[in-house]
Amino acid sequence: MTTTRRNLLKFVGGGAAGALLTPAPWRLITDTALWSENWPGIPRPARGEIRARFTHCTLCPAGCAVRARCVNGQPVSLAGVKPHPISHGALCPWGIAGHHLPYHPARVRQGPVKEALAAVSRAITQRGAGERVAVLDLRPGRTVSWTYRRAMAAIDDGLYLAPRQPAYAIDLTAAKTVVSFGAPLFDGWGTPGNVFAARANFRLVQIEPVETRTAALADVWLPIRPGTETAMAAALAGEITIAEAARETGVEEQAISAVKEAIGNSPAVVLAADPGSPLMSLNAKLRALGRTVVARRESPVPDAWKKAAPSTEMAAVPDKAIRVLLIDESLPGGYVPWQDIQPKLAPNAVVVVFSSSSEGYARHAQYVLPAPVYPEMAEDIGPAIDTVAAVFRIAAPLIAPVVPVVNPGELVARIAGLPQTDPLRDRADAIHKAGRGSLLSYADGKSTSMKEVTADDFWKTLNQGGCWMDDTGKKAAPAGLGKFGRSGTCPTAHDLPLAVVVAEARRGGLESPLMSKLERESNLRMTANRVALSPADARSNGIENGGRCVLETACGRLSVVAMIDAGVPAGVVEVAGGPRMADLCGANQRARVVRA
Amino acid sequence: MSANKRYGMSIDIDKCNGCGACMMACAVENNIPPAPEAANDRRGVTWIRVYKVDNHLAYPERRTAFVPVLCQQCGHDTPCVHVCPQQAVDVDPETGIVGQMPERCLGCRYCMVACPYHARYFNWWDPKWPAGMEKTLNPDVAPRMRGVVEKCNFCHGRWHAAQQKAAAAGQREIDAADYVPACVEACPTGALRFGDLSDSSTEVAQDAQRPESFRLLEKIGTEPKIHYRSRRDWVREIASAPRPEGKDGLRG
Amino acid sequence: MIGGKIAFASGMLLALAGGWLAFPRILYQTRQQPVNFSHKVHAEKAGAKCEDCHSFRDDGTYAGIPTLDKCSGCHTAAMGTTAEEKNFIDQYVTPNREPQWLSYAQQPENVYFSHIAHVKLGHVKCEQCHGNEGGTGALRPYQQDPISGYSRDIWGRPVAPVGLRNEGGMKMDDCVNCHRRQGLEYSCLGCHK
Repeated sequence: MTTTRRNLLKFVGGGAAGALLTPAPWRLITDTALWSENWPGIPRPARGEIRARFTHCTLCPAGCAVRARCVNGQPVSLAGVKPHPISHGALCPWGIAGHHLPYHPARVRQGPVKEALAAVSRAITQRGAGERVAVLDLRPGRTVSWTYRRAMAAIDDGLYLAPRQPAYAIDLTAAKTVVSFGAPLFDGWGTPGNVFAARANFRLVQIEPVETRTAALADVWLPIRPGTETAMAAALAGEITIAEAARETGVEEQAISAVKEAIGNSPAVVLAADPGSPLMSLNAKLRALGRTVVARRESPVPDAWKKAAPSTEMAAVPDKAIRVLLIDESLPGGYVPWQDIQPKLAPNAVVVVFSSSSEGYARHAQYVLPAPVYPEMAEDIGPAIDTVAAVFRIAAPLIAPVVPVVNPGELVARIAGLPQTDPLRDRADAIHKAGRGSLLSYADGKSTSMKEVTADDFWKTLNQGGCWMDDTGKKAAPAGLGKFGRSGTCPTAHDLPLAVVVAEARRGGLESPLMSKLERESNLRMTANRVALSPADARSNGIENGGRCVLETACGRLSVVAMIDAGVPAGVVEVAGGPRMADLCGANQRARVVRA
Repeated sequence: MSANKRYGMSIDIDKCNGCGACMMACAVENNIPPAPEAANDRRGVTWIRVYKVDNHLAYPERRTAFVPVLCQQCGHDTPCVHVCPQQAVDVDPETGIVGQMPERCLGCRYCMVACPYHARYFNWWDPKWPAGMEKTLNPDVAPRMRGVVEKCNFCHGRWHAAQQKAAAAGQREIDAADYVPACVEACPTGALRFGDLSDSSTEVAQDAQRPESFRLLEKIGTEPKIHYRSRRDWVREIASAPRPEGKDGLRG
Repeated sequence: MIGGKIAFASGMLLALAGGWLAFPRILYQTRQQPVNFSHKVHAEKAGAKCEDCHSFRDDGTYAGIPTLDKCSGCHTAAMGTTAEEKNFIDQYVTPNREPQWLSYAQQPENVYFSHIAHVKLGHVKCEQCHGNEGGTGALRPYQQDPISGYSRDIWGRPVAPVGLRNEGGMKMDDCVNCHRRQGLEYSCLGCHK
């Protein structure tokens, strides 16, 4: 037999026919189909024992109780704790995805810890007379805040700085009418669960220039000219006539008198976007003090802590006085614009920030040290503005830190030479010793009087899911609301034609990468780089919908994307909050938008 | 065997504050990845999506409402089932839930065209999580690959878990409290409710009977099982129109 | 002409031999289990029933292959004299390292399978799907199809994908056959996730 081309083809043909009679080709087809179902490179979720663990969310002062669904101890989803008397099982979108934060790609993962410590101790010893060492605490009211205050008392010329905290609590359940001057009642104010639980029992009058989420669900929304809130308050207080107020605010007379009547006839409360605003003093006129605006006792602290530095506001510090500034930005909180801090720094000041995000003060500090994030950090959460009785709850860590972190409280205590103890445990013992209030355990929903709990059981329950709640004593009027007086007038004509209105409050700090669902993937929430303009303002500046433009203020410029929205009043630019916007706008809320 | 269920939802638009907690809880529960760089509001994946709608008037008459839209679980002539060439979509007679099988899906996207509610989403990219974040995936839901369509299935992983729990107790019937989709559990305002529409004693069945209750595009006869309600006339009018005119009112 | 027929026949024979004899051998990757475990010895000494080690959790989920802490309960120190046990203690128990067992019956990720529903509600015996694993003196090698990622136990012993009437495997066809016989047919999402 000779090998011919013809025979070779027959051989191949025979092979092909034979192969079809074997399992091989059929199996390979099926296998390929199965392979495509188990697509390579797709992560396989870990399997294992599923258990619930409890903690508290530290992402805002609400400190909502959290039930974490854990697989082999790793949290895979978070939900609220239904029977909780304050948070009522609610979580906000940030809280729901809080367990992603440790893995955020933009997280600060390392920092010059040794160098920072050396620079700080050098500056402390070498500083001149009157030069201060300061801690800026963005979330005062925590136990670590006491550590900072004690540390600053232990250092000569130590200074404890914190944004102004409200010296009162709001009892929403006692209010029949709520008059809100731009307070984002349904979008981040107080404790969400508490607000929504009380919602059915009050009428909400929302006074603000744009229709925010809160205004959209308010019973009455009064669209007010930006910056004229004081005039409206003065009219409600009876200091100016309703006609005058209507002229100044752009709100109809009828609407103002309806509000005035409502607050005169029923238990009411006035809320302001800034809890330290003089607008809050309108409550005194409404006889709300001691009824809807009440004093709150602080939860007990150990006697040994009484030697603590007082809380100072940034504005009260003399210029160029701070030689060392340690900023605790580990939890998102009230951001103090950098232009308020910078003048207070000595020329050779050392600024160290503890943060997980490079967005906030990390842009300004010499040393950025990686801080733990929720839920890696054992931390307590101060009471929220709508919590009437004192509370003590611990955010028990659900996972170990995934990057090497510095605990800000421990480091500051070490710098000041404070004794190395666990302040949370000391505080818990002091609360236990005081014997007031009750302990709520989340696993069984039981509330036990503190007199029946041992100190060790108390500590154990706090860490495994529990909350101490003070007795609600007799309601008392708070001190320090101040007197209501008209200060500041409507901003007059200026070369910056637009009033900046923060339509989307942002706390700063890391957010779950899944927030893209609410932003880029749905445009439900405004991203930090967007602004919204009225069609008239957009037209006069030649700006197109979705076009790149520049937001200019007295403090700087920011490249943004403009959206045109007929729901925005002329003369207003809507922005989303956040540290960058705070640095840009500060107290001067005027801006201009020009084409890029 | 127990009587068939007809699971459905009721949504009180007058309570929805548009916070987006439902969307986050949904993405966490169902292993939906964060958006890739190039994703936008048309190419993202949001099994439940809260739309911001308005009354088409300018400031200060403008009024806004938030409408969460998920798969409407059509009970009659379910459009996506009819068009699928792969039988990758089916309606479970036991629960009434419209199921989508990514494993069978060819990626032709006929179903997305057929769906009157834009409730189906295509995976334009392979799912990717930032390093370490894959540890937070839910073991009860399989992540999907690129090139397939997916949609809400009323958190079927939770249905399985509830069944498993019932089986452990030797029962076939689940406890209604054990089966609540993630969005309903997450809603802080209580705007979303879930339950069996065929049982007139459930809250959802009663909500569906209210005079201010309506369904999206009711006139096309797909018998959706999501019952919305609002006391605002303009909100109810929007629901009966195929689409709001133009995109002017919709940011982005 | 004869030459042509021979060429055709030899090609065909070669393909048939390759497809029936060589292909099944090269299709599967074979791996050994980390520890040579004897179900038989453990059934005699540690627990008589499968559930004694392969237990259910309170929520009804199936714990699967026991983790090391279950083994360490008895094997902190050698109980017998075998080299395998000594090796197991040195390699895994003492350094507290989980053995990477290869699960013969692991379904692909997109399958939801409830053991408890089958065992408790359906009264299916373990052996019906897993065979008499509990009586074996040593673990079989683990065979996996590297293309589909399926274990040979899932696929079943035969190689061909067509015309299967046996129930040797745990493929979807096998599940469906059994379910059909009982009149228990569900939708896709009844068993997929």
